[in-house]
Amino acid sequence: MRSAYNETWLYNLAVIKETKRWLKQNFITREQFERINEAYPSSFYHPNFMIRILLLLATLLALSGVTGLLALIFLNSTSKEFLSVASIIYGILHLTFLEKVLIQNNKHYKSGITEALLYSGIGFTIAGFSNFDEHVILYVCLIVFSFSAIRYVDLICTMAATGTFAAILFYECYNAGGIVQQIIPFVFILIFGAVYLFFKTLKSRESFKVWTNNLLLVESLSLLLVYAGGNYLVVRELSVSMMGLDIEDGGDIPFAFIFYSLTVLVPVAYLYFGIKRKDVVLLRVSLIVIAFSAFTFKYYYSLGHPEITLTLAGVILLAVSILLLNYLKTMRNGFTREDLLGEKWGNLNVEAFIVSQTMGGNRTNAQSGDSFGGGDSGGGGASTNF
Amino acid sequence: MTQQTPKELFDKGLITGKQFNKIDLITSGKIVSVFYELRSLLYLGVMLFTAGAGILIYENIGELGHIVAIIALSLLTIVCFGYVYQKAVGYSNEQVKSPTPYFDYILLLGSLLFISVQGYLQFQFGLLDENLGISTLITAAFFFYLAYRYDHAGILSLAITALASFWSISISPQKWYSGNFFEGAHLYSTAIIFGSVLAAVSILLDRRSIKKHFTFTYLNFCMLIFFVGSMVGLFDTESYTIYLLLIYAGAVFAFYVARWKKSFLFLLYAFAATYIGTTYLLADTVMRDAIELWFLYSIASCGGFVYFIVKYRTFFAREL
Repeated sequence: MRSAYNETWLYNLAVIKETKRWLKQNFITREQFERINEAYPSSFYHPNFMIRILLLLATLLALSGVTGLLALIFLNSTSKEFLSVASIIYGILHLTFLEKVLIQNNKHYKSGITEALLYSGIGFTIAGFSNFDEHVILYVCLIVFSFSAIRYVDLICTMAATGTFAAILFYECYNAGGIVQQIIPFVFILIFGAVYLFFKTLKSRESFKVWTNNLLLVESLSLLLVYAGGNYLVVRELSVSMMGLDIEDGGDIPFAFIFYSLTVLVPVAYLYFGIKRKDVVLLRVSLIVIAFSAFTFKYYYSLGHPEITLTLAGVILLAVSILLLNYLKTMRNGFTREDLLGEKWGNLNVEAFIVSQTMGGNRTNAQSGDSFGGGDSGGGGASTNF
Repeated sequence: MTQQTPKELFDKGLITGKQFNKIDLITSGKIVSVFYELRSLLYLGVMLFTAGAGILIYENIGELGHIVAIIALSLLTIVCFGYVYQKAVGYSNEQVKSPTPYFDYILLLGSLLFISVQGYLQFQFGLLDENLGISTLITAAFFFYLAYRYDHAGILSLAITALASFWSISISPQKWYSGNFFEGAHLYSTAIIFGSVLAAVSILLDRRSIKKHFTFTYLNFCMLIFFVGSMVGLFDTESYTIYLLLIYAGAVFAFYVARWKKSFLFLLYAFAATYIGTTYLLADTVMRDAIELWFLYSIASCGGFVYFIVKYRTFFAREL
């Protein structure tokens, strides 16, 4: 299947976005950037992020008005079946309008209006199937999300499609019962391991360059799902709540040692291969799963002093990062601590805002004189965020 | 964008050979920057440590070893500020590059520990009721000094928050969600005045070219405080005309700031505030109990808005 957008323009836009970063780091001059801009034209209407949010909200509001009027006309008199069919038709009308009017005639590309129409259209299409059982709904979701992810190069749909696939895998194995139910963790590890490798090879293919970001997202999500499949906490809690496993005092889940070792080994393996292959995706995912592994062990073997754990974790993180920063003062093995290409969200203002949001919050509590723990300090306040 | 793109640009003569060699090293992944990963780790470390230390103090008040912990934290605070004092480069009205990669984080750590220690001392010596206002004001002044002296926008946010809480406002959105934002009566007047005055001060500082890169942080806080203040006023009072006018005035101001600072965020504030204000006015006058009118209104207003933005796309792309 092809993307709905002009692929040359998509590529040109990506080149312009990348070279803009080079310009910001003074790798190239402004004149060079202007010439690249001329050599790689694209006629998309692709506004700034804030404008996109504005347009998304406005379009959703306008669509809700249209839906409301239609509901006033149709809702009272008609049967359930008619409403289902109407909902599906209405959803498909959204997508048709998106494709013909916005993308083909007006050259919109992720303008906020396109996303609003897409999500609203997906919503109504899937809602039309809500009378069927969960199997049908899950497969409809998978088809609709995958279609939108590929055709409209949409990241949220990509995430939803991957999630739906994982849900289908889980429910199929769960409903199969017996031994299949027992080996769900290993099924997840094998299948998503394969998905990871498969999408990694797709990424290097020239014909898939339009979907680079989508493939990257599937890659990271697969790594997370492989880890989740082997994580002790996930396996144990799901076994207890979904499969009615009873764990007595001093007892443990079957094959507990396998899951304990996977909880430790998978993050270590991610980190090792991340460093060895200089793979940023693996590195970032490894940081997240290391944190979750630490949480897993604390969850079952807590000494009952979360504040000491927090403090110690902070000390360890500070020590490790300062050591690494010193270690990477000179470039080692191709790793550097310097900022090579300014990243989109890396600017100071965003960081300042986050600092104030996570730290400055709860001052009025102290003012009104109730519990001091949640009060004046950044410490007490921040703890609610973790 | 693929790995071959730099080569393609080089072949077309759009970048020089020297530039290509440099860029290709990065895009091919031969050199990997872990700048943001390390900074995130540092930030997380600071947050976890100060959070843990803060709880540790309050949970163990009056117990043995507690004094030791306080002394240790005080010493650590002094060490942090000592490090910052030693390493700092001179003051400048311009943006200053931090002397070491973790300089900013040590400063943040010191400041957050300072809040913990100061809060503890206040609590322990029973000064909670009388002097909290004064001590918050002192904290604010100290943080403003730190923010300007060592050029740290994060500390500036803390300083503004402290100053605002001196005027009994909590600026964190977490508060708005929980619905106890303006607990007392007429706090919104304070918010409106606070926002306006601080905005005026920050523009004055900007005009004098003192730390121009702080203006965004200032104005962002000011607008959030101002708009939320006037909206609570709008929803809360019977005679809301004055608050509606304030919202419109604020939106015009935000629009000009958006053009001046080339920031689309302020444009978003301007449109959102105007829309909410106008909708409230119409809801109160024309559109009472008429649901069909509501639907038509949302279609017409939002449809019109979308049309307007797309129609004048060049204006929004170039002017801002």
